[in-house]
Amino acid sequence: MATALAVSPTRMELLKLRQRVGLAQKGHDLLKEKMDALVIEFFEVLRRIQEARTKALEQLSVAHRALSMCFAVVGTLETKQVCREAKRELQMEISTRHIMGIAVPAVEVGEVERNVLARGYSIHTTSSVLDEASREFERALKLLIELSELNSSAFALARELEKTKRRVNALEYILIPRLKEALKFIMMRLDEMERENFTRLKRIKAMLEERE
Amino acid sequence: MSYKIAVIGDQETVTGFALAGATYAHIHTTREETLAKLSEFFASGEIGLVLITHRVVEELNPDFRQMLWAKRLIPLVLRIPDKTGYMPKFDELREIIRRTVGAEIMVRKEGG
Repeated sequence: MATALAVSPTRMELLKLRQRVGLAQKGHDLLKEKMDALVIEFFEVLRRIQEARTKALEQLSVAHRALSMCFAVVGTLETKQVCREAKRELQMEISTRHIMGIAVPAVEVGEVERNVLARGYSIHTTSSVLDEASREFERALKLLIELSELNSSAFALARELEKTKRRVNALEYILIPRLKEALKFIMMRLDEMERENFTRLKRIKAMLEERE
Repeated sequence: MSYKIAVIGDQETVTGFALAGATYAHIHTTREETLAKLSEFFASGEIGLVLITHRVVEELNPDFRQMLWAKRLIPLVLRIPDKTGYMPKFDELREIIRRTVGAEIMVRKEGG
């Protein structure tokens, strides 16, 4: 592994490497903390998704049943006709919130459920079954909007989590071991050089003594 | 900012959500048309949420997945079951958990 990092065995390089290892270690610790925080946040969102999802899906199936009823009683064509007449101007507010520096959507929606008169189709030509279907779908839509916020948050968090994990692993299993290997190499080399020097001096001393 | 809602799906789903006040709707017929409509929805700045049925999603994949990754935060996209309650067995969220956490994790209700 040491070959991957070409270093010259000098004291200067040793100091530099020590600094780099320290920095990498610090970065690694910080990223790891970030990852832990993200995981906690992620699971919180997941728990809420589970609740919201069951509720929304139940409501949606209720709504579909009501709509089938409406198709049966009022007629398919008539229902479609009415849905063309209906007012379709539902607005939702989306802003972004930041969790640990990740942008997640924050959705705010007013009352989705409308008054019969506010729906925009004429009431004296349509059946109450249709009103029922509209109401159920409005309820389902509100729940689904809430669910979509959570869902998108979870996806954003998961994406960030994956990125962070990759970085942590790169530091932990590749960069830091490599730096340590290089560090070890330099230290061994320096020690070796010192020993060489020592024996050289000894030898010179012996030679000098011999000459006297 | 305030946004509007779009629906893509079969006739029933679209009718229902149109009754509930969704502004844009597209009834899925061919793959190309729906993909074009979808990118139109993504590009327009005024749509905040796109509801799309699982059945349509399956027909659009893998292009749909690619678009989902490429899009910005808004519009949000939510996949919903259609009137038959059809949902794929493969849960994307669970897949993501498996990949990120490295373990299969079940979220259960507390006390349950």
